[in-house]
Amino acid sequence: MSMSPDIALRTAGLTKHYGDFPALVELDLEVTMGEVYGFLGPNGSGKTTMIRTVLDEIRPTAGRAWILGMDSHEQSVDIRRHIGYVPGDLALYPNLTGHDTLTFFANLRGGVDETYVGELAERLDADLSRKIGDLSTGNRQKVGLIQAFMNRPRVLIMDEPSTGLDPLVQREFQTMLREVAADGRSVFLSSHTLSEVQRVADRVGIIRRGHLVAVEYLDELRTKAMRRVDLEFDSPVEASVLEAVEGVRDVTCDNHRATLSFNGKMAVLLAAVAERYDVVDINTREADLEEIFLTYYRDDATPV
Amino acid sequence: MLATLFTKAVRDRWLGMTIATSVLALFMLYAMAVYRDIDLSIYTDMPDGIKELMGIPEGADAASLSYNVLLSFAGALTLAGMAISMGSAAIAGEERNGTIGLLLANPKSRTDVLVAKTASMVALTAAATMVLWGAGHVVPVILDVDIGNTHVGAMMLHLGINALFYGFMAMAIGAWTGKRTLSSGITTGIMIISYFAVGLLPLIEGLADAAKVFPWYYFLGSDPLVNGIDGGHLAVLVLGCGLFAVVALLGLNRRDLRGQSIGVTLLDRLRTNPTTRRVFDRLAGSTRVSRLWIKATSEHQGLLTVTSLTMFGMMGVLMGPMYSAIEENIADLADDFPEAILAIAGGGDLATPEGFYQVETFSLMAPIAIMIVTIVIGARALAGEEANRTIGLLLANPIKRSTVVAEQALAMVVYAAVVGVATFAGVALGSVISGLDMSIGNIAATSLLVTLLGLVFGALALALSAATGRVRIAVYGTIGAALTSHLFNSFFPLSDSLAGYARWTPNHYYLSSDPLVNGMHWGHAALLAGLTALLVTAAIALFDRRDLRQQ
Repeated sequence: MSMSPDIALRTAGLTKHYGDFPALVELDLEVTMGEVYGFLGPNGSGKTTMIRTVLDEIRPTAGRAWILGMDSHEQSVDIRRHIGYVPGDLALYPNLTGHDTLTFFANLRGGVDETYVGELAERLDADLSRKIGDLSTGNRQKVGLIQAFMNRPRVLIMDEPSTGLDPLVQREFQTMLREVAADGRSVFLSSHTLSEVQRVADRVGIIRRGHLVAVEYLDELRTKAMRRVDLEFDSPVEASVLEAVEGVRDVTCDNHRATLSFNGKMAVLLAAVAERYDVVDINTREADLEEIFLTYYRDDATPV
Repeated sequence: MLATLFTKAVRDRWLGMTIATSVLALFMLYAMAVYRDIDLSIYTDMPDGIKELMGIPEGADAASLSYNVLLSFAGALTLAGMAISMGSAAIAGEERNGTIGLLLANPKSRTDVLVAKTASMVALTAAATMVLWGAGHVVPVILDVDIGNTHVGAMMLHLGINALFYGFMAMAIGAWTGKRTLSSGITTGIMIISYFAVGLLPLIEGLADAAKVFPWYYFLGSDPLVNGIDGGHLAVLVLGCGLFAVVALLGLNRRDLRGQSIGVTLLDRLRTNPTTRRVFDRLAGSTRVSRLWIKATSEHQGLLTVTSLTMFGMMGVLMGPMYSAIEENIADLADDFPEAILAIAGGGDLATPEGFYQVETFSLMAPIAIMIVTIVIGARALAGEEANRTIGLLLANPIKRSTVVAEQALAMVVYAAVVGVATFAGVALGSVISGLDMSIGNIAATSLLVTLLGLVFGALALALSAATGRVRIAVYGTIGAALTSHLFNSFFPLSDSLAGYARWTPNHYYLSSDPLVNGMHWGHAALLAGLTALLVTAAIALFDRRDLRQQ
């Protein structure tokens, strides 16, 4: 199958069942080079299953996946020359030091620049001389991050990578992710931490119960997505009038005042309202990602 | 919580216990069926002294012989082994898993936890003993065999308390040190040394009483199958249990609990010492992680060292002087020994040094030693990485799954070879220093054959590990297969109608050609090597086609 060279990761109808349980259902997604793709979903929604499937750890029940145009199963060894990976719930060999661990993976991978490893360790403030078994969760995670970055992979696949990192290191790590994207490479970042995705991702895909329910550019999401609108009128207002306007939901009326969520062009809303009432005051604000996310999550699954 | 902690400990272990006791019961059925059908005059005609030595009651019959062969060795070691496993894991296992902190965050004292764990160990051992006791009564009824004057109940009581003795010993060491491997290793070592000492010391003039120092004496020394319960001997074992319980209690309450941190090894010290740093940093650091198989080889250094030293020292070198010491006695005995008995004991003629080494070292201990390392490596190779959740990251590197299996298999070959060479070197040295004049070439041939036999079962463990991703299935499945192979190969030749079937067991191709006397049988070696290659190939195919387990 021919594919555009700027596609980092692509899945087509990717489905994985564990027995009768559908962990992943006909997932179609595309990550382009040069972007950080946030993969957002609550616990148990299928994020890790998706990652393990595209890495050929487990085999799809149906559908296929490609990384850098290569088939995830047939060419899995070739793929792994070009990726960096941080598994969720990272486990390393406890009896090796951080340095030994990185040397081990560098030997398996080839083409790792030792000075770059040193730079990464310094940026993340990692102690590589101690045994993994003696490190705290956060310090162990740093070793996992370095091994993912150290061969300058074209695609970074990260499953909840910020686990255990303190805020300063988290900030540095996010800068590193942006640098990867700026370099024309790409990051697939699975997370349930909205603030992190909000800070680093260009695009976000939302998964729940194995279904990809939405894919949005973060910029668009912010602008077009829901706004909270407070309106004040010169006379008492009826909710039904407001609810009739397309894109309006969650209306609460209190005599002269109304509060609602609105997803659409503001001019349409104002025109509709002005037909019946005189607007005295108006106040709108952007809903943050969390509200958007919760809205998607609260609704019943309607796959797009 | 005490009740739930007890129930959880029982729940974690009952399946393994049930399988082991069921297998033992089945073998009892099988052994008794074989003994029922062969001419027992070979036993009844033996001199009284030998009968006593072998624990055969007056008027030896099918029942007592099968009880004897199954309970005094396989049954006793199995039950004691499981008690050791439970005892050493009681506290130290929770520390190693990092669960002890959460466990003790509940409003229960360390003593409470220890009591609950002890109760589960005692209950499970008692249950297993009861099942065996039941089998000991049911089997003769099924086969219509008269059990005569044998004291099955007494034997079982001795067996159960003997197992608990080692369980408590392991618990005491584990509770005191927090090190699980250390406690099970030391206890198993003491048990095995004790087993051999009680078997061999009485054969040396003037040293018979020395056997009383070893705990195994208080299990079998009074011959409970013939003489019934020996209250004094049982009291010694029970007292030991009590003593160990107190040690465990004091030890656990006085020390800091261990986290999951890794201990400092000798290599670590050499790595940090400025004068030795360069060499050892290379050895323990960069060299160790340079290849997958080298890293795999470094994983179980402790086990390899202990096993190799045991085979070299105790089972190799030491047996030479031992033979010299008891040569005369054993020659007298051997003259009276019917051939058939020797066939069961391992096929050697005890009156020759070759026969002695075959019975003591090669027939049982050498295969067990090599299988310990090959099965551990084979079972943990893939399933262990899955259990530790490191397999995903390992396979995110550009290496094929087949390469991972092949490199782990290579590490297994290295381990088997080290123990094989240690065995060879020990026996050869033992022979030379005692002037036994055994053929060095034949010792090498036998060592090579036992190494290959160990590899067959290691490769089976690897295949099971590759197919299921579960360490327990790989370990228990392989042990079951090895035990079956050993017993079938020992018993089939006793029955004319079954003798031909022995060649369907891998064990047949190890000693049937009598390599210690006749030298190398290349055909048998090739067959064992071929079987190993076949199983490794199967492991590669099986591992390639399945989903990796997440935990």
